[in-house]
Amino acid sequence: MKKIRNLIRYIIVIILDIFMMIVFHSYLNFILLVGLLLFPLYSIIGVYQARSHAGISISAPLEPMVRGEEFLVNINVLNDSFFPLVNVNVNLIVSNSFYNFKGEHTLNIPFRAKHKTKIEYPITMENCGRFYCEVTSLSFVDVLGVLELEKKVDASTQCLVIPTSNDLNAEAGQIYFKGVSEAVESKDKGFDFSDISGIREYIPGDKLQNIHWKLSAKGEDLMVKERVNVSAMQLNILLSLANDEEMCVEGALELADGIMKAFVKQNMPFTVYYYSVNRGELAAEHIVNDIERKQLIEMLLYDVCHDATIDVEDMFVAKHQGQANYLYIGQNDGGADDGNSIVGQKNTVAVLKRSGMA
Amino acid sequence: MGLFRRKKKEDVHKDDFMMTKGMYLGKADIKNGHIILNCFLRALIVFFLVLGMIGGFLSAFDITCNYLIVITVFLLLSMYFSFLYATTRFFYRDLGYILFFGLFIVAIYVFRIYANSGFYYVVNKVLDTAKTFFDLPGVREYEVQIGNNNLTVAIAACFIGMVMIIVLNIWMYSIMSVFWTILFTFPIMVIPMYMKMSPDPVYMVFLAIGYFCVFIFRANGHYVLFAWDNKFKVRGLRKKRVTYTQDAGVFGQLIISLFALFLVTIFVTNAIVLPTAFERRFKSDRLRSTTSDAIGNFLLLGFSSFFNKYPSTAGMSGGKLGGVSNVRPDYLTDLEATFVPYGNDAIYLRGFVGGEYGENEWLDAFGYENEPDFESEFNKYTLGSEKDTLKNNKGKYYAQGYMEIRNIGASPEYLYYPYYTEFDDEFIKSFDSEDVEFRNGLTRKYKYYPKVVWEEELGSLTPDKIDKSGILDMYLEVPDKNKEVIDEICNEIGVDDSMTEYEIVDKVRDFFAENYPYTLKPGMTPDGSDFVNYFLTKNKKGYCAHFASSSVLIFRELGIPARYVEGYAFSMEEVFTSDEAEGLEASDYYTGYSALGDAPVMNVEVSDANAHAWVEIYVDGFGWKPVEMTPGSNEETEENDFWSAFGDFMGGGLGDNDGGVGLNGLNLSLSSLSGIVFVIIGIVLVAILIYIVRIIIRKIKRYMLMHQDNKRDALIARYSYVCDLLRICNADFDTYRTHKDQLTFMKDTYGVDMDVDKVTTIIESMSFHDEMPDEKVFEEMSKLTIVLRKAIKKKSGLKNRLKMIQK
Repeated sequence: MKKIRNLIRYIIVIILDIFMMIVFHSYLNFILLVGLLLFPLYSIIGVYQARSHAGISISAPLEPMVRGEEFLVNINVLNDSFFPLVNVNVNLIVSNSFYNFKGEHTLNIPFRAKHKTKIEYPITMENCGRFYCEVTSLSFVDVLGVLELEKKVDASTQCLVIPTSNDLNAEAGQIYFKGVSEAVESKDKGFDFSDISGIREYIPGDKLQNIHWKLSAKGEDLMVKERVNVSAMQLNILLSLANDEEMCVEGALELADGIMKAFVKQNMPFTVYYYSVNRGELAAEHIVNDIERKQLIEMLLYDVCHDATIDVEDMFVAKHQGQANYLYIGQNDGGADDGNSIVGQKNTVAVLKRSGMA
Repeated sequence: MGLFRRKKKEDVHKDDFMMTKGMYLGKADIKNGHIILNCFLRALIVFFLVLGMIGGFLSAFDITCNYLIVITVFLLLSMYFSFLYATTRFFYRDLGYILFFGLFIVAIYVFRIYANSGFYYVVNKVLDTAKTFFDLPGVREYEVQIGNNNLTVAIAACFIGMVMIIVLNIWMYSIMSVFWTILFTFPIMVIPMYMKMSPDPVYMVFLAIGYFCVFIFRANGHYVLFAWDNKFKVRGLRKKRVTYTQDAGVFGQLIISLFALFLVTIFVTNAIVLPTAFERRFKSDRLRSTTSDAIGNFLLLGFSSFFNKYPSTAGMSGGKLGGVSNVRPDYLTDLEATFVPYGNDAIYLRGFVGGEYGENEWLDAFGYENEPDFESEFNKYTLGSEKDTLKNNKGKYYAQGYMEIRNIGASPEYLYYPYYTEFDDEFIKSFDSEDVEFRNGLTRKYKYYPKVVWEEELGSLTPDKIDKSGILDMYLEVPDKNKEVIDEICNEIGVDDSMTEYEIVDKVRDFFAENYPYTLKPGMTPDGSDFVNYFLTKNKKGYCAHFASSSVLIFRELGIPARYVEGYAFSMEEVFTSDEAEGLEASDYYTGYSALGDAPVMNVEVSDANAHAWVEIYVDGFGWKPVEMTPGSNEETEENDFWSAFGDFMGGGLGDNDGGVGLNGLNLSLSSLSGIVFVIIGIVLVAILIYIVRIIIRKIKRYMLMHQDNKRDALIARYSYVCDLLRICNADFDTYRTHKDQLTFMKDTYGVDMDVDKVTTIIESMSFHDEMPDEKVFEEMSKLTIVLRKAIKKKSGLKNRLKMIQK
């Protein structure tokens, strides 16, 4: 409608000019008329040129960002033509794939000739997940505002937004002891439930506690004990990614992240079970160190949360046939709040359970 | 405290745009130029408009001034107000305006004499040009106190520009209205354009760029600029649009582009069509021919020239003079005359007789209210003596007739009777006693004795029947205020009282015909001026009342008894083009001598355009004799006032005279529509041109793609072209998803001989594996695409072929 209005307005100006030209026999109005007729040509050629010489790139931080933290998405639109445009619309689709939240909007920018327009988009996500931004097309409006051309483009970027977590070292340690009966095998090992499988040379980054001091003393190089997590299966974490209107999965992720951090920090290996919507099954990830923990979090966020109809506890029990203890992290349906549990945000809880007692 | 904290937490993203649930956009950033640069560029629009307008106007009248001062002041003021409007606080803006107005008042006080002198110099220059252009007798000249025109005009221009800059700046920042901008800046350019004065093209370029900038920003937005604005704003009903506020870079580039475009336009236009050649294209100048009189009168008399003191339609004025600027007949029938025509002379119906010339008015010669001998006065007034002579003269030319006059829409104050009418005693008595009005709808039947041959004297008895002493007293009187002018005119005409009445009449009539053009739009007589003096010495144009009144005074000055008569006159041509009165016998209406032989009874409709003023002079042997002093008209007698002329120009006229466009008629003439047709054709041609250019651009692009050095890309482009053509002819072509299917379809549908598998392999290897074809394959494939194109075109209908041309 606006384009039609602009067109009508322009035609009226032309008619007015012709009227003046005829009435006053005005040569100046004649020149103006020529200008008025040439300008649409300039405008139309300009918009075509600008469209064919346009390019776009978009980038987001490579590192995962923490929930609630602002990060910048850079949108660079190039006009390699000699024609400036006042209005170019960048059609954007942004989404959080973890929650399946999706939104579309248009970013309106100026389009200088022979210039790369750089826009910094400061984005904050209240929820963790995978931020995904995609530019599907660019719309170019000519300077007269009567013609709009579209150009399909394919530019996208993404950024993971991970949960923030509290320090749960003490609570996690207690839970672990309670949950793992075999944990009493050696207090001297200092919460280390792994066995030595071999000896190798020291690699920078190895933990000091793994250095085989006796052997190292005999030789010139430091030797390190390689460990096998024989006790890893002894504690299972069952993470429920079921979400509700209160966004309880945010609390579960936060709680899980805190607990997993604490376990890793205390060298306590564990296995995390969760229902993967992408895979359509109960997935299990064995976590020993912090890298694996981070990878798991990223993997979780690449997946999609699900609704409460999917009962991960049933799946877990069915899989282990009542033979294992597990730490359930998810919505606090039973109102557990005792020594066997850690209460998280948004009515979530980490509670120690035994198969068949869920 | 908790409440406050909670509130604060909820408001974290209050100003942010929620792109989707849980995802917020903060203040987006863009390098869009500093606010100062933006304000400066915005100020340039106002600067261009004001400089273009004022500079254009001054240059059109060859008025020079110190443009350094003008440009500096305009630029500084434009920037000042632009910055002021973009200030972060309204308080500063208000303060800035107050400060400026304070300075403005001080400046006016200090430079008032300079500004007045400059302004008056410009006005004098314009009026001087107008005097020449409109051929005016004289225009007022304003006193210029300071002779340094360069400086004074510049100062006056600065003051006018200041006001315009303030107003335009507000519009630029609020509505960016194209039409208000044009309305505010362009009308003043009409003055030089009307008088065929050309402004300097440089200023016109400024003005044009200003208009284009306004148009572009109105069409595209981004013109509201405040320093506190974010670089982006969220707009839309559901906030689905993040829009930048302003950008100096685009603004600057557009201004440069517009400059380049208009410079090219001017040079190209000048090279193709010279101004002189352009002017020759116009054969007539209807605007100026129809409005120059009105505008000339306006320059002489001001706005009062557009308005009439008395009703401006024609008809009886009752001796009132000078109050009508433009006579505008409505062409409605005032009287209906039924009679038998008897000669070729015009028929005069007497209505009002003016005896004494007063203050721009003729006083009624028949003052019967105070007359003791009413019947005698009535007879004198109605030419009773002449009538009696004709009645009693039973010679060869004796005639007697009846004329029925029906009053349709004429003033009821007058009788409207033909010359030498016999009023019977009964009528005279009733006229005396009842003060009878000739109301609309009434019909009077007059018995009259026509003087078919005017040259024949009435007889020696006539003078004795008229009281000559009365004649001398009243009909030879010339007011003192007119004596000097009348004497000068008599000298100029070359008449004196030694000449015969006929010689004098002829001389005066010729003098008027040669020097005083007839017009129905002479303009009002200025207040304080005498109607006759103003006509004879200054205005020198007029209609019947001007000529009749002046002639009466001239005749009187030369000793010929004369009086002013108003009524209706119609020519025999009008009589003959009228309808015959059905069912009426000519013998019942006319007996005696007739120059026309046996004529039927005619029914003549007399409109207000037939209202007329003429002169009666007293000639021994004839008595009172009507003489026509109004010269023939060269102008059309339709719409004659400014507004009608304007309306006529705009819409082809309101009258029914020339077959033009009538608002009360639906027959639009082609000539008056030519402008619109021209515009429509122009627009269509431009649209077609754009369309063709688009096609050509597309064709060139495609050609370049198909003939590029990269053979692989060139072949893909050629195959793609074939597919595009097929999409036009076959809506379901896209349902063939693989190259093989597509090629099989081509082979089957168009009968092209090819090895589908081989071609498929080649195309897929190029498309998916970046394989570069060798020369032989390239040639074969090129030929195949040509054959396919030809086959497709051959099998396509006309409609599809036309579509293919666009591809």
